[in-house]
Amino acid sequence: MNRWLTRRWPTPHWPSVRGRGRTDVGPLLLTAAVIAAVALLAGAVPPLLRAAADKAIQDTVRDAGTDSNVLAHADWERDDGPTGGRVRMPNLAEDVDAFLARTTSALGPDLDAALLPPVTVVNGPILKITDGSAPRTFQFTFLASDLGGPDVTWIAGSPPGPAVSDQYVEVPYDGPPWPVQIGLSEADAAALDLRPGDRIPVKDGQGPDKDVRVSGIYRPADSADPAWRLAPALLRPVPGADGVGTTRFNGLLSRESLPDARLAVDEDQLRRTVHFAPVPDALTSDSTTALASQVVKLKATSGSSSDRDQSLKWESQLDTVLRDARTRNNAAAAQAAVLLAGVLTATVLVLLLAADLLVRRRTPVLSIARQRGAALPDLGAELTIESTVVSVSAAAVGLAVARAAAPGVSWTWAVPVVLAGAVAGPAFGTLAAARASRDRRQPANPAARRWIRATGQLRRAAVEAAVLIAAVAAFVTLHQRGLVPAASDGDTGELTGDLILPVSALSLGALVGALVLLRLLPLGARFALRQALRSRRPLAVFSAAQAATTAGRALPLLVLVSTTALASFALILGATVTRGLTDGAWSTVGADARLDVGADAEAATPALAERIAAAPGVEQVVVAQVTDSARVFTESTLLTPRLVIVDTAAFRRLLATTPLPDAPALARLTAPGPGPGEVPALVRSSDGDLRTGKRLQLPRDGAPAIRLAAVGTAPSVGGANDVVIVDAAALTDAGLPAVPNTVWVTGPGAGRAVSNTGVASDVVLRADVLRAQRVAPLTAGLVRLAWTAAAVLLALGLLGLTLAAAAGASERWQTLTRLRTLGLRPRDARWVAAGELLPPVVVTAVCGPLLGALLARLTLGPLDLRLLTGQAADPAAVLPWWLLGLVSVTLLATAATVVPVESALRRRDRLSEVLRAGE
Amino acid sequence: MSSEPLLSVRGVHRRFRTGPTVVHALNGVSFDVAAGSMVALVGRSGSGKTTLLNVIGGLDRPDAGTVHVDGTDVTALDEDGLSRLRREKVSYVFQSFGLIPVLSAAENVAAPLRMARVAPTERERRVELLLELIGLADHARQRPAELSGGQQQRVAIARALAASPQLLLADEPTGQLDAETGLSVMALLRGIVESEGVTVLVSTHDAVMMALADRVIRIHDGHLDEQAAGQPYVPVPDAG
Repeated sequence: MNRWLTRRWPTPHWPSVRGRGRTDVGPLLLTAAVIAAVALLAGAVPPLLRAAADKAIQDTVRDAGTDSNVLAHADWERDDGPTGGRVRMPNLAEDVDAFLARTTSALGPDLDAALLPPVTVVNGPILKITDGSAPRTFQFTFLASDLGGPDVTWIAGSPPGPAVSDQYVEVPYDGPPWPVQIGLSEADAAALDLRPGDRIPVKDGQGPDKDVRVSGIYRPADSADPAWRLAPALLRPVPGADGVGTTRFNGLLSRESLPDARLAVDEDQLRRTVHFAPVPDALTSDSTTALASQVVKLKATSGSSSDRDQSLKWESQLDTVLRDARTRNNAAAAQAAVLLAGVLTATVLVLLLAADLLVRRRTPVLSIARQRGAALPDLGAELTIESTVVSVSAAAVGLAVARAAAPGVSWTWAVPVVLAGAVAGPAFGTLAAARASRDRRQPANPAARRWIRATGQLRRAAVEAAVLIAAVAAFVTLHQRGLVPAASDGDTGELTGDLILPVSALSLGALVGALVLLRLLPLGARFALRQALRSRRPLAVFSAAQAATTAGRALPLLVLVSTTALASFALILGATVTRGLTDGAWSTVGADARLDVGADAEAATPALAERIAAAPGVEQVVVAQVTDSARVFTESTLLTPRLVIVDTAAFRRLLATTPLPDAPALARLTAPGPGPGEVPALVRSSDGDLRTGKRLQLPRDGAPAIRLAAVGTAPSVGGANDVVIVDAAALTDAGLPAVPNTVWVTGPGAGRAVSNTGVASDVVLRADVLRAQRVAPLTAGLVRLAWTAAAVLLALGLLGLTLAAAAGASERWQTLTRLRTLGLRPRDARWVAAGELLPPVVVTAVCGPLLGALLARLTLGPLDLRLLTGQAADPAAVLPWWLLGLVSVTLLATAATVVPVESALRRRDRLSEVLRAGE
Repeated sequence: MSSEPLLSVRGVHRRFRTGPTVVHALNGVSFDVAAGSMVALVGRSGSGKTTLLNVIGGLDRPDAGTVHVDGTDVTALDEDGLSRLRREKVSYVFQSFGLIPVLSAAENVAAPLRMARVAPTERERRVELLLELIGLADHARQRPAELSGGQQQRVAIARALAASPQLLLADEPTGQLDAETGLSVMALLRGIVESEGVTVLVSTHDAVMMALADRVIRIHDGHLDEQAAGQPYVPVPDAG
């Protein structure tokens, strides 16, 4: 009969299982505690990260404001009449309702669920108010929603009514202006000094006057109604909306006056748009892909804006906003995955070490059991039952706590830890039992002894080569494709197959570093031994001999070096992100405080700057004219960079005295231009369109364009990627005097100095920006995870050190006891013990942080930290030397504590007992 | 053979407590060993052989009784005194050799001499002499892992003799060796007694080994059952 069919199943001896469990309850509980703690971390991080990602998506969409709205517009049905004129369409409001329903149904259910009820805005053209000297503009607007539009109370006059009561009216194209009634807000009416019944003196460009009449004055029932945000000038005059120095007024149309508004302007001048604002709280990280795809699909199916038909034309930046947010989420997920992989690697190594300790304690018992006839499969089964119960129950406890503490739980990351806990003990134990039943005699044949040594060395070399190859593959993958794209389709924080290799790069790198040190340490120890053998101090010889004897022990050094390197990496990551946030805040604000002066107060900027400079605690004040999306021409292209016109000397001083990156090229701005009539400029662009040597033109109203010559690279200003910087004096000489609208202020009193300027301006404080970035969900989550991972890894390292000391204690003290039988004094034994324990710890304390720094240099680039710090480029690794030093000191202090404690504990043992245990 | 006993054991008791059970490992053991003799201590496993050797060497303290080695009361010495005793008068050979794996055979033999701060020249001379004595002069630079079990035990014996002890305690020195190698090791010990004048007390199970001893002491459940007369010494060829 086939021997497989006759083979019996392993039959565990339950009393032995219970007995071993009771005897080794300490190490088993320690193993369980490690598994539970890491399962808690591994189980809680992904859902916490997912929650942070959801919040980040919501915050991003909220911060984007109306930029994240989905807009749909369509041209009207033509109103040509049968007699060559234009027909008044009395049901135009119903047509708007139908348009709104049509756009809503086109959204699709997913997108519809993520968007607020739509608001339809019908806008007329921007008209000029011809009365008065100040440039003022006027627009009439109709707002409609599912509920009919925002409520208002008419405090004077009446709602706008129809111009005619006839159902059918056809108006000739060249007829007089068609009258239209509108309502004005209290603020608009007061500013324009108009009352019900008055006519607003407006006209369209060079065209004839329009007949726009005020029917009444209203007060909004709820000025916070989101619909008003789409036309804020319906509540109050809005300065600067139509250019510098202008003020916009809006008149409210009613359903009745809407048909007249169409006839009051040209046929294509009344535009209808449906605005869908997203509901930030309804967005989740998981839903963003589908939503962004749906928006892209809508835009792809959108009719051309040049088509004069009623097809829907979609516009939105929601897909871009969601994609950017998702990219940041993926970056954070990848960074978290790298840290988690490091923690798991260290945990698996520590569990192997714990299993090694347990098996060393059990070897005598297992040997006896084997000698008494216990079969290896039975022993293996007994050990597997025990380790599986311990690992699975500990992981269950950890995951249960994670479930209670976090908004969900993920078990994927806990699997390697549970597997290591369940498999390591039985594997080591079965091997130990098998070894116990083998002939332990050293072969008398030298060739046989050499063969045994060579086989062992070959096995070890094969394992090392495998780790090295895996590490190289991981780093190549990491650098060639990065982590963020790989994470784009994965569930946030979850480990997917294609992610395993690049995510493991850090851990594999740490292992390779540890293996290199494992090769070097015995060489160093043997060198030290050779030196010691030349000395006359017996302690030096025995210490060095002990060190050389144990220098080849793999697990302790692997655990110590890997945990220390990974903890150092986590500290470097945390410090880099923290510094990156600080630098990002400097880059965003440009100083301790920035004042963005309102368009109507720009003239007051120089005086304002002088006042701020005189305030206490202010060190520097620099004014500049900063124009976003300025029109700059190259030979053939229109570019829209951020144009900064600044006093170069003052700007250089500002950069030199702050953490902002210095820009020596600024000195070239005050030198004469390379060609006659050219003004030197510094340029910077993300796509290379703006580069040194380019010739640019800065157009002016009613005058020839100013020629600019790019003479160097500009620093990033306010985080903008495309920048042109010009010296204010040089530009004034060229005929374009600067009108400063930005004030950068540094010094401890900067915040107070800009807080009450009495000028319409926006104040941006660096401290506020930094605070906001620090509490941003993803950033805060990642920094917390980095510090937590560092602490856990350091704790694992210290635990590994203790376990390694405990695992080697029996052997060490047998050796020391044998030396005692040669006459070694008890107090000298402690130094010899230190000689064994300290070298790997010293090597780890020195090389671990350095390896962590090297790994940070190799891996931080592909982690795309800039996506979280808000910097223009990936931040350089920041080495927190005092924290890294603290790691080293903690390790050394622990080792220095272990030696005397172990010595004190072992001193109680009689030498005879120690020797008997070793027989 | 001197008439003055080198080793004098008087009324030694040693009990071990394992939970509620008290095991009397040594129960009023008394005997003398003359200087320059080889005494075999025999008995079954657990009979108290190792405990007796440990008490004699100061690795364990008796509950009662005294042990004198060359007139020194071992049981009255403190730890430093015991260390000095082991450096100067008593040495050990164990079943598991106990060599330092990273040191060569010569360096292992030199270990007690380093401990005693013997001058390098004298140390090297003594090591050379001992390696010659055990027949491993050609293996001086080899490490323990490069030696066979028998060779390792010979190195352990040479190390035990390095500091010129008066008493060598060997606890089943052939336990991990095959019969032929074990016999050669015992023959070596026998030869050392003859050449170095060292007193050897060796525990063993092997009846053949007993034949090499001057005297056999049987121990049973902590009692000395009898003191047999030694068997005549029969030289055995070196088995390497």
